[in-house]
Amino acid sequence: MTEKLRTIIVEDEELARNLLKSFLKDAGNIELIAECENGFEGVKMINEMKPDLVFLDIQMPKITGFELLELLDHKPHIIFATAYDQYALKAFEYNAADYLLKPYSKERLMEAIEKVAERIRNEGAVSDVAEKVSDYPKEESLDRIVVKDRHKIHIIPVDQVRYIESMDDYVMIYTHEGRYMKQKTMKYLESALNPKNFVRIHRSYIVKVEEINEIQQYEKESYIVILHDKTKLKVSKTGYKNLKDILNF
Amino acid sequence: MDFKHPFISNSRLAFYYVLTWFAILSGSVLLKWLAYGFDPGLAVAEAFALPFTFAIIGASIWYVIKYSTLENYSAGRIILSHLIAATIIVFIWLYLGVVIIKLIHPYSGQWIDNNLAANIFSGYMLYLTYVIFFYAVNYYQGFKEKLRNEGKLKSLVKEAELHALKSQINPHFLFNSLNSISSLTMTDPAKAQEMVINLSALMRYSLKHDQIEKVPFSEELNNNKLYLQIEKVRFGKKLNPVFEIDENCLDALIPNMILQPLYENAIKYGVYEATEPVDIVTRSTCKNDILEIIITNNYDPNSISKKGEGIGLRNIRDRLQIIYNNPMLMKVEDNKKEFKVTLAIPQK
Repeated sequence: MTEKLRTIIVEDEELARNLLKSFLKDAGNIELIAECENGFEGVKMINEMKPDLVFLDIQMPKITGFELLELLDHKPHIIFATAYDQYALKAFEYNAADYLLKPYSKERLMEAIEKVAERIRNEGAVSDVAEKVSDYPKEESLDRIVVKDRHKIHIIPVDQVRYIESMDDYVMIYTHEGRYMKQKTMKYLESALNPKNFVRIHRSYIVKVEEINEIQQYEKESYIVILHDKTKLKVSKTGYKNLKDILNF
Repeated sequence: MDFKHPFISNSRLAFYYVLTWFAILSGSVLLKWLAYGFDPGLAVAEAFALPFTFAIIGASIWYVIKYSTLENYSAGRIILSHLIAATIIVFIWLYLGVVIIKLIHPYSGQWIDNNLAANIFSGYMLYLTYVIFFYAVNYYQGFKEKLRNEGKLKSLVKEAELHALKSQINPHFLFNSLNSISSLTMTDPAKAQEMVINLSALMRYSLKHDQIEKVPFSEELNNNKLYLQIEKVRFGKKLNPVFEIDENCLDALIPNMILQPLYENAIKYGVYEATEPVDIVTRSTCKNDILEIIITNNYDPNSISKKGEGIGLRNIRDRLQIIYNNPMLMKVEDNKKEFKVTLAIPQK
């Protein structure tokens, strides 16, 4: 092993951090560069320090481990460490290197680190976590969306979302407070948002049903949706059919 | 308590009541007509005037019984209230009877002279029969209801047990606790040992109480202190349990495992989501034969926690309702900063 893996721990429980740290002391190829107590801190440190490897808990205050992954500019290798077994499948869909179930043994931890070292030898330092992330809708409907602008992380409850507009590789999320950009596909959001509350009305628009004030005929065969705040959005043919289905007219 | 007349709630009973009176009435008519040679019309009129009216008025005696139950009042009071009620009912009955007799009986004056005194006596006797009959009906109904409630209570206690067990073997609690122990074995073996012992005691408590319905408050309290202690090891300064318990309350009785879901919720919605310390405050007082327990926790209003299952709270409400027959014993308040649950446990 030539170079050490620069590593960050993101874990809210002190005892769990202590255990991991003391195990890592005996791993020759790990250099621990930071510890974070919550997801917000984790995002900041990972984007700043650009580690090779992150140990990540899933259930944490503020944002979950999965939400954290969506906010990373830098993509390290991820080893999840959690007491839950039901997220394992999802973790591998997110291209995690390994998934440790608490409590885990030192040997099991070393195996996980070896997997990461192996990956690095095979494919170079950068993993492709985030690309994978955006393609996988969650199994249950989304109840919040986490976005990051230059300085801050915003947690947007989905019931505050008014509509979503696609912008190339990004989406713009409009709420009553403002608008937020996020790297997600419309396809992902359409499938992740609760279909009872949100409707895809156009290639470029997903609208919250409650926000719709009226649907107007614009030309022959073409319609627009007018929201309560007078915003006008184009409706496609398929979109009109979707609206018919959900509003029963 | 059920204030519906048994003849309304139990149509079979009403049917037999009507049938019995019909048999008595036709029996007396036939007897007077065939054996004593009465004019049949006259026999029907007399039967209609008195026994029939009593059949109608008598049904109301049930209400007298419902409001002077054997369990709640002294014997003297019950006898007195029945004497008064009997006098009123016999008076109304005879008054109605006499009015009807005067209207339809050809020799009404003679009838009144001959029969009135005897009928006062039979009125009181009939009243007594009704009282015995209705007490029996109520006793039987109460017995059946008790059986039903017991069955329901058993299944709720089972559910609570199951819930407590499930919450102890849920990944968040058990595996994270075991992970803490794993960590402590290296840094602080004595504390690791203490935690293993606490965890065992907690599980033993919830396995033990499968039959007993109520336990002393002190026992329930100690068990939940164990639970909080274990969580405190994990969450450190983020979890701050505070107890303000009136010493007089410790012997009060409380349904077992009724508090743990409340602490669980406080941890799930308060502590899990917090980055700052969360106080879980338990206050209890005893007055007027009521044990009042208030559990509050502050929480971060910005955290959007997942929708709660609510099963824990519902189960508590249901159990209190069945045990104490009162749906108002649990109060839940949420002012978006603090979550507060108040329990009022009757002692009597």
